[in-house]
Amino acid sequence: MDERDTNRLPFGRRRRTAASALIAIMVALVLGAFFNAPAMKKTAEGMPFGGARSFKLALVGPLATVSHWLLLDRPARLTAEALGKPAPGPSPVKVVVVTPSAHPSGKPGKVNPDKPLPRPYPGHPLHLYIAGDSMAGIPGMALVNLSNKTHLIKPLLDYHISTGLARPDFFNWPAQLQMQTKAFGPGAAVVMFGANDRQGLQTSSGKVYWFGQPGWTAEYRRRVREAIAILQDGGTRRIYWVGQPIMPDPTFNRQIKVINGIFQSEAAKHPGVQYVDAWSLFTNPSGGYAQYLPDASGTMQQVREQDGEHFTYAGGMRLATALMALIKKDWLSKKGTGAPPPKPSGRPSPKATTKP
Amino acid sequence: MLFPTFTFAIFFLVVFVGSWLLMPRQGLWKPFILLASVVFYGWWDWRFVFLLAFSAVANQLFAKAIERAAAAAARKWLLAATVAVNLGVLGWFKYYGFFITSVANTLHAFHLNADLPLLRIVLPVGISFLTFRVLSYGIDVYRGKLRTSSMMDFAVYVAFFPYTLAGPIARAGEFLPQLAGPRDPRTIDTSRAFFLIFGGLVKKMLLADYLATHIVNGVFTTPGSYTSLETLVGIVAYSVQIYCDFSAYSDIAIGVSLLLGFELPDNFDAPYTAVSVQDFWRRWHMTLSRWLRDYLYIPLGGNRKGQTRTYVNLFLTLVLGGLWHGAGWTFVFWGALYGGALVVEHRRIDVRKARFKRRQRAPAPTGAEADTGDFGIAGANTGDLGLADTGDFGFAAPAPAGATVDGAPMLSAAAGRAAARASAARASASGPAAGSQLDLRPWGGGVWPRVGTFAFVTFAWVFFRSVSFGAALSVFGQLFRHWGSVGAAVTPAVLLVIVVGIGIQYVPRSFMERAEAGFSVLNPLLQGLALAVGFMLLDVLGPAGPASFLYFKF
Repeated sequence: MDERDTNRLPFGRRRRTAASALIAIMVALVLGAFFNAPAMKKTAEGMPFGGARSFKLALVGPLATVSHWLLLDRPARLTAEALGKPAPGPSPVKVVVVTPSAHPSGKPGKVNPDKPLPRPYPGHPLHLYIAGDSMAGIPGMALVNLSNKTHLIKPLLDYHISTGLARPDFFNWPAQLQMQTKAFGPGAAVVMFGANDRQGLQTSSGKVYWFGQPGWTAEYRRRVREAIAILQDGGTRRIYWVGQPIMPDPTFNRQIKVINGIFQSEAAKHPGVQYVDAWSLFTNPSGGYAQYLPDASGTMQQVREQDGEHFTYAGGMRLATALMALIKKDWLSKKGTGAPPPKPSGRPSPKATTKP
Repeated sequence: MLFPTFTFAIFFLVVFVGSWLLMPRQGLWKPFILLASVVFYGWWDWRFVFLLAFSAVANQLFAKAIERAAAAAARKWLLAATVAVNLGVLGWFKYYGFFITSVANTLHAFHLNADLPLLRIVLPVGISFLTFRVLSYGIDVYRGKLRTSSMMDFAVYVAFFPYTLAGPIARAGEFLPQLAGPRDPRTIDTSRAFFLIFGGLVKKMLLADYLATHIVNGVFTTPGSYTSLETLVGIVAYSVQIYCDFSAYSDIAIGVSLLLGFELPDNFDAPYTAVSVQDFWRRWHMTLSRWLRDYLYIPLGGNRKGQTRTYVNLFLTLVLGGLWHGAGWTFVFWGALYGGALVVEHRRIDVRKARFKRRQRAPAPTGAEADTGDFGIAGANTGDLGLADTGDFGFAAPAPAGATVDGAPMLSAAAGRAAARASAARASASGPAAGSQLDLRPWGGGVWPRVGTFAFVTFAWVFFRSVSFGAALSVFGQLFRHWGSVGAAVTPAVLLVIVVGIGIQYVPRSFMERAEAGFSVLNPLLQGLALAVGFMLLDVLGPAGPASFLYFKF
């Protein structure tokens, strides 16, 4: 190795050649790839079905296999175990349907729409569960802030970026909903999915339906019913199912309309479920996309982020205000309530938190 | 393309090999590195590549015209046009919405409703950094500090991928000289490069992102859900997060550049060890503060037009610096807070200086004043960039003239780095002993000035982080509401990460340099093995997916 002693740095630090650097980089990348192969495989598996996913899996699949044979995946796994973190790599069992109490057929849960909603009062707040993808994040935060001001609503925001109902192998929302309903015991839920669901769906039989196919619509509809059923089974009396807002991209909008249509029709079929039209809440007076809209006081606000899709805080507050009006009407107004509050169930209710 | 991704690792490997293979043939290397930079930038949005191209061509044409113009008036007009075009582009992309909504809301307040065109304009990533880079070229050519380069060299300077998205703001005078000839493949400071890259990844993935997801985001977006202690910890955590996030990007950019044979100026120097706001700005985003000093504060008059004007110039510079960060009134206020703090500190020193002079019945020791390099303190402020110690108002000192391009005096990145370090060291050391009997530190040294400075900086960050004044006040209000319990978000891990994020700034530089020296003599196979183990640990300990860097949106 041709090193130049004349280029010594503080404390005798040596400059090295490009070849030396290349060797170090190559070793780091190749060995690092073997060490992290399970995690890379998991990332590839989380990609939308299609050519890019297949290509990446074709690359990292064998890498993960070799890594396993050579025991090079052990250090990461053992480190994760030692730290109490989930082992890197795909889940050993692909969980799609959560438990027997979930509803793969979409059978509605236990809701009696005729029973009046219990009115929350100090010490016995309404548990409001807010779930969804990144689109739900900012409106969810605004809704948490509005809820805290009432002192009668205890919110739990639970959003996870890049998730949806399309890929339970990537993030298992049915399991998440079931877990949260059990732990938090929500009386009401606000859910917002769909922005990441314009991709292939894999049924429990392994068949993949591409977006737009009749099979896709049927399968997605079933998943919406499943989510509703899990929430209602967990005691959620009101579900506010938020549709996606208008987007700047026409193709995206066509796809969103399909998904919103499913949400709307399923909500209409299920008592206790209300579809919230976010689309029209974010259009300009001519019905087109709007980056800026006036708030209630007439002050012009930027409501969508630079990407044109996600909400700014002002946009999130716009949606949250609309949601809060519905919630107040159902739960806090004298007109819509009247029943005494339920006795405490004894279930632990987590503190209101935000989860990215 | 984010740095902490496997995609970037593969991209960089290809660029690294191609760059050093083509380096001897500069006619091939320059198009290659330009193409690589365009791919990197276009990875975000290919349309923005046209912005890069426009910026490169327009600024080169202006600079050539400035250089050729004989009449001073013509040169001045051409410079004004250069500045107007660049700020116009920046204004269009970054401030259009802010401007229009501000106008519309002002009119609305007077019950005047105007149908103003509210357009959706996508902000090109890193446009503020790009604007300042290319402005440094035109202004330095105008000042005669720099000769114009070839179109290809300038295009490489404009697009060089390591610093395109979030700095450091390498000036033309610091980078272009390095394009004068092939870089030497035998003298790469690989050890420092690897330490910077790996250290940057640790700061970003293990510290910044952890704090963001575990406490900061929640405290700043839903303050009502947190106890007072959680809020306090969350506010402090944001100070740590933004330092770890931004300095991580700078470190990785500098490290990546080093591996390609290029030196970029340092951008951070333990900012939370600062003993004053002046000192903080010598250590925080040093390339920005140097830029503001040389291209804004000094042209405004610096400290050459009397005390009051100096204070006004300081304030204006910081307010505009705040606006540079983001199109919003909270950013303006954030800048104004710093402007006000600098004025207070300068005033304090001016008063002390006047008392000192009265006591001595003679002018203050020349050496003491010149040593400080602080605007408002130093007697002479020539505005002569790079050729004299012009002083700084808490901004990093200018780099000394050294390198040349085609015979023109230049600033080198290495010289800039050395000068910045010297400035910070000087500022920290300029106690009573350094200035005979005149302590030029506004609040002296020791623990309490550090604590006070950190508290002020942390207070100011709340406005920087919040989406509105109302949101900032909500966060502050939460500090006084729920002291009854600790809160679940204050965990040992969060506290540990905060302590580590601040503590690393107190680690002596010599400690890291010794470690780098030890690493540098290792066999490259062992270096690679160590890095691989490090990457594995990052993958296990870090977040599930890479998060964008905070400063990308600036």
